[in-house]
Amino acid sequence: MAGSQTGQVRVVAQDPSVRDGADGPILTGLVSFPAEETRDGPSGHRVQVIDYDATTQTMYAPARTGTATAQRSDEDIIGDPAFHALNVYGLVMSTLGRFEFALGRRVAWGFPGHQLKVVPHAFAVANAYYSPDSQALLFGYFDNGRGTTFTCLSHDIVVHETAHALLDGLRGRFLKPSSPDQAAFHEGFADIVALLSVFSMKEAVRRLIDHAARDTSDSPPGEFVPTSALRPRQLMNSALFALAEEMAPRADPGGIGALRRSVRLRPNPKCLDLLEFRDSHRRGEVLVAAMCRAFLEVWTRRLDALAPGSSKLVDRGRAAEEGAGIADQLLTLAIRALDYTPPVHLLFGDFLSAALTADTEVRPNDDRYQLRATLLRCFASYGILPASGTADGCWQRSDKQLRRTGVRFGSVQSDPTEMFRLIWANRTRLKLPVTAYSWVSDVRPCLRMEPEDGLPVRETVATCIQHVQITADQLGEYGLRKPAGMAGDVEVSLEGGSTLVLDEYGMLKFEISNRLPRPTDPSACARAQTRLDYLHESGAFTKGITFRNRFANVHRLRASAAASSRQEVW
Amino acid sequence: MTTIGPAPTEVTIFLYNVGFGDCLLLRLGYARGRNRSVLIDFGSTRRAKQGAPKSMEAVARKIEEHSAGKLDVVVATHRHRDHISGFAGDSGKIISNLDPEVVVQPWTEQPDLAVDATDSTVPAAGSSRLQFAARLESLHAAAAQVLEQLPRLAGTPGVTASLVRQLEFLGQTNLKNAEAVRALQAMGTRHAYASFGSDLGLADLLPGVEVEVLGPPSLAQSPEIRSMASTNSDEFWHLAATGGQAPSRQRAEPLFPDARQARKIPQEARWLIPRIDKMQAEELLSLVRILDGVMNNTSLILLFTIGDTRLLFPGDAQLENWRYALQRAPNAEDIRSRLSQTRVYKVGHHGSLNATPRTLLWNGFVRAGLPDPAQQLITLLSTRASTHGDSDQGTEVPRDRLVEELKTRSRLVNTQDCTAESGWWREVVVPL
Repeated sequence: MAGSQTGQVRVVAQDPSVRDGADGPILTGLVSFPAEETRDGPSGHRVQVIDYDATTQTMYAPARTGTATAQRSDEDIIGDPAFHALNVYGLVMSTLGRFEFALGRRVAWGFPGHQLKVVPHAFAVANAYYSPDSQALLFGYFDNGRGTTFTCLSHDIVVHETAHALLDGLRGRFLKPSSPDQAAFHEGFADIVALLSVFSMKEAVRRLIDHAARDTSDSPPGEFVPTSALRPRQLMNSALFALAEEMAPRADPGGIGALRRSVRLRPNPKCLDLLEFRDSHRRGEVLVAAMCRAFLEVWTRRLDALAPGSSKLVDRGRAAEEGAGIADQLLTLAIRALDYTPPVHLLFGDFLSAALTADTEVRPNDDRYQLRATLLRCFASYGILPASGTADGCWQRSDKQLRRTGVRFGSVQSDPTEMFRLIWANRTRLKLPVTAYSWVSDVRPCLRMEPEDGLPVRETVATCIQHVQITADQLGEYGLRKPAGMAGDVEVSLEGGSTLVLDEYGMLKFEISNRLPRPTDPSACARAQTRLDYLHESGAFTKGITFRNRFANVHRLRASAAASSRQEVW
Repeated sequence: MTTIGPAPTEVTIFLYNVGFGDCLLLRLGYARGRNRSVLIDFGSTRRAKQGAPKSMEAVARKIEEHSAGKLDVVVATHRHRDHISGFAGDSGKIISNLDPEVVVQPWTEQPDLAVDATDSTVPAAGSSRLQFAARLESLHAAAAQVLEQLPRLAGTPGVTASLVRQLEFLGQTNLKNAEAVRALQAMGTRHAYASFGSDLGLADLLPGVEVEVLGPPSLAQSPEIRSMASTNSDEFWHLAATGGQAPSRQRAEPLFPDARQARKIPQEARWLIPRIDKMQAEELLSLVRILDGVMNNTSLILLFTIGDTRLLFPGDAQLENWRYALQRAPNAEDIRSRLSQTRVYKVGHHGSLNATPRTLLWNGFVRAGLPDPAQQLITLLSTRASTHGDSDQGTEVPRDRLVEELKTRSRLVNTQDCTAESGWWREVVVPL
């Protein structure tokens, strides 16, 4: 994996049950990422694979990295732990690479350290999760009645867990209790990254097309397929679902089957109000459903444009290339959106506005795919409206002129203290209460590549957090009322935060805020009151409620279909 | 649910200190004719720390004495060991000889379901009831798998003794109690397998007493219970049951016997390995906790009404079970209104955090907090502290906050207050 600019590893394209043709070998593909010199393990500057099995208390020898791209037999893929180690390394590194490309900068993990530990055979338990405490991704394995299922060989599951670790690094506060949307966002976002990551591999999209074509009677043999076989409904109901069938729920310990299920969620603008979607592990599926519909709509529209004449036939390879390209574009957009979200109290509508803004900034011309209009329509069909309230859904540009007296422009792009100086000098313009505990949690210069006109977009993204610790009796000072049944001496944390996006000259482009509530700002108070009531109802102020092992628990809940309600517990 | 004949003139509840478990006898006295006796559960997983009976046979003998040698109804709220273990063995024989007329159990215990459900690897197509029953079989198998791993876990650095104890307790509670299940099937002249709204047909047997079934809901009634019977969920439990390799030996066969193993633990792995060991044990604990909840939610919830006196016995029902009666049923409002008048409440699931719905049930009890002790709500708590859950995580049983509330707002009768001097049962006379 050394010697060239790009490292490559052969990975399982979806999971070992997905084969190349009816009786072919396990479908694999190559993933790429910036090259590095690794030690056996593989062990690199961002990922260390540690192959320890707690159930059998076995430590396997570190995998040698020499044959990372070679075609492997099915026997090897299933039975060689060294292949498993390379598989997880490749998928984690390529996902990290996707994030860094989209954001135009290095991305840290959500813990104080640079190397994420990845354990491909952690235990004989049907679960896989990200553990921030252990700085690790843990993949279980289990007996499925016909053999052993390895969660580390499921592309979906590995990417999903990696996305959790990366999102935690970018927006650590999204793990905190805030609202049903924020509780659901981690799962929904990780699912979106997993799904789009699979479909940005041509091999996987090609397989999707073959499935759809197989189900169509007027499909001619050979390389061409009628576009009528590739309608969103067919793709959702036959091909995509067929993939899920082959994956089989029993190969789905992390609840990734829910990802497939969410694709088939019928649009309903009121669905987020339904009791069923109040539970975080179901609510995230709505986000995934909206994104999937957008993907399929854009793709099938492109296929129509590619199939001239009355035959409406399209080349399978070209169709696959288009599909993979669109999935890749959407993946970039979804990741890039994170930089345009408020740092605290995220709602789905914030994510939508962030995604639309992020895409507009680097890809102003959307005639080819009409991604943004499609996203707006698809999200609206599930009741998710842009938080910006603007017609195009983008955040409004800031017209604030920041005072920069004494602020060093060179430092402000990367130094939190310098950035805080800029913010402090403009605290009134930015409407930041001076009495709150405030700090800059992150400041990063970014270079976002624009694939169409080739001109990079330079930005600086900073996040500022504000925090006050009060008792329930003091809520009135912030324009809030005490929820019914809350004792006056209960300690309450209020948090606000702003994401500031500066252009290449240090001018403020966007100010994306969820500020601390104050009596003079009724809309901020209304939002904060909704959160406060929800948190009280869900027991977040109850002593002893713990959010430890959050990911392990959420995944288990998704798989077991259990329900919970904090307001009824003691 | 109509009542026949004159109502009882005396109601006495005997609460036996079986440790972590439930065993209650409801004795109904009539102005004319013999008393009637209803035994509600008879099981234990941990003996009481103090004021404990010598054995389960001793409890059975006391039941025999208190019921004057005749049981009319036996209720087994659900099949957890701490509710039915006493029906097996010698203590079970004593109960059986008390010749109960009717045995009441939840619908999930119907023998034809159990017979069809023996092969848990093949979910019965087209029958979600059978599928659900198959699930219960998988739960027992999962519990057995967890118990098999205990000797190895106990010797693993990073896995605390407290974690192992909790695993052992929950694993044992959820093991299949085959002998007790069989004994219950053989007992009585009639069996009633009930779900929400079932008529138990007890009007002749218990004159003047109305017994209403408020749970468990049937699969058709409850989306939560139904989702537990979904295919995905079924597969989840099957997975838990098979549990991968789940070796019980101290050091098991490696997953890849032919693969190269490290000659020594690499430096970068030394910090992580005890954490992985611990997380594996925590995974198993979470699994058995979920499994415990599923079984609890098959629990019968019975409301006895004598005149305008209401006695509520919810077994170990948790929120998913309660929710149908309290929120989703067409007559939920009417049910909540009747429950608000409850005089005696057997505290659900030994006082755990999620078996006494706080706003939907507890806050509605109008007798809770009444100043006159003669009018106040009576609560019965059968439990043993430091057996189940963890106070650091707010999951201790009984939950401190709940016990505090029971103490301050009701007349609490707690088996943990039994001592060698005061004896190992409590007798509660219910004012009519």
